[in-house]
Amino acid sequence: MRRIGAGDSAALAEVFDAHSPLVLGLLFRILGRRSEAEEVLQEVFLQVWTQAGRYDPDRASPRGWILMLARSRALDRLRRRESSRRREQEVSGQAEFLSVHPLGTERLEAAERRSQITSALSLLSTEQRHCIELAFFEGLTHTQIAERLQAPLGTVKSRILLGMNKLRQTLSA
Amino acid sequence: MMATPRDHSARYDELLPAYALGALDGEELREIEEHIATGCPECRRQIPLWQSDLEALAASVDPVEPSAETRERILRLADGPRSVAPTPFPAAPRPLPARSQPPRWLALAAAVLLAVAVWGVWQQARLRTEAESLRAERARLAEQVAALDRRLAEAQGDNERLAETLSLITAPGARAVQLAGLGSNPGAVGHTFINHSQKKAIVYAFGLAALPADKTYELWWIDAGGRPVPAGTFNVDANGSARVLVDKVEGADGIKAWAVTTEPAGGVPQPTGEMVLKG
Repeated sequence: MRRIGAGDSAALAEVFDAHSPLVLGLLFRILGRRSEAEEVLQEVFLQVWTQAGRYDPDRASPRGWILMLARSRALDRLRRRESSRRREQEVSGQAEFLSVHPLGTERLEAAERRSQITSALSLLSTEQRHCIELAFFEGLTHTQIAERLQAPLGTVKSRILLGMNKLRQTLSA
Repeated sequence: MMATPRDHSARYDELLPAYALGALDGEELREIEEHIATGCPECRRQIPLWQSDLEALAASVDPVEPSAETRERILRLADGPRSVAPTPFPAAPRPLPARSQPPRWLALAAAVLLAVAVWGVWQQARLRTEAESLRAERARLAEQVAALDRRLAEAQGDNERLAETLSLITAPGARAVQLAGLGSNPGAVGHTFINHSQKKAIVYAFGLAALPADKTYELWWIDAGGRPVPAGTFNVDANGSARVLVDKVEGADGIKAWAVTTEPAGGVPQPTGEMVLKG
């Protein structure tokens, strides 16, 4: 990241190759549209290129920093977008877990980490996982999730709290 | 009351995961933000941990390989001559030029066309409504014109009658005769104006009772020989008033009197009924 901040384009290429599949996966998971996700991916890496100097290694890993940048941008885009149709479709159905076949290569390390997280997520109840995903991937608040699921607010709050705690326990184990 | 860092409690432990997730809103969000703002060390310790869990959550998605085009665009940007950009590190990211995508002006033109089409449809609907309301307005105005025509015709009729009356009673030699109520109509009065030169008379009657349909009032003059001559029949209006114009008054100079009687409908050649006005 320091090299990118100094204007090293080769470093940007390295970071892009290492993290862009996951970042694009996250953008696609949030936005649900491939072309829009690629568009935001460009914005994210432009931001990485121009703001790498702001990266603080004490606070997050490069991947974590880029993923959070990507999530924030995608949620902004999602809020701006007229997405009522997509949301309405999701209200009636169960949690939609987009299945995207990985394309190209991904690093073994990343794959292992991902499998660890996936198994941690699988320990959550469907409801806990759904509430957390609505907050994380759609940027909804407690109140909005309760409205979306037509569930009591207190129930939504406790699902998120219990789910997050279980996730913490599993990941730190 | 400002909280101090020592205040960290189980309450905040409960709020922090949802705070890190961005799921808090309203009072709870304000509560935790105020608390964090006090510089609580426990929160400072916990927040990065929750964020790290969230990063893991972000990384749980299935990776998607970006298209070669996207990769090329991003790396071209990094390789590009920095002098092209106004500043080497623009503070705000800008959208990349999308060379292989339809040009921006095309999207703009499409948007303009769509806007024009929408405006056209809206305009058409608006014009249709306007035309309907104009048609209704035209019908209403036509009715008004017809009503005004009727009133004008009435006014013209009134005017003609007034002019006739005026010319009759103001002509040289015109004479006025007062009629008084009789019998069952003691309150009735009448005025007769006779114009000798025109051989016309006009009679006004007031305070006469309304008659049943099979009855009528009949006007007479009594000639020099004392014989009643029929001068026309009439009925009164709702106020008990009537105006009768008599043409061809023969022997006007010799007329001794005017009278009104109640007769069978259609009138009779010789008076048979009650006399209600005389003078």
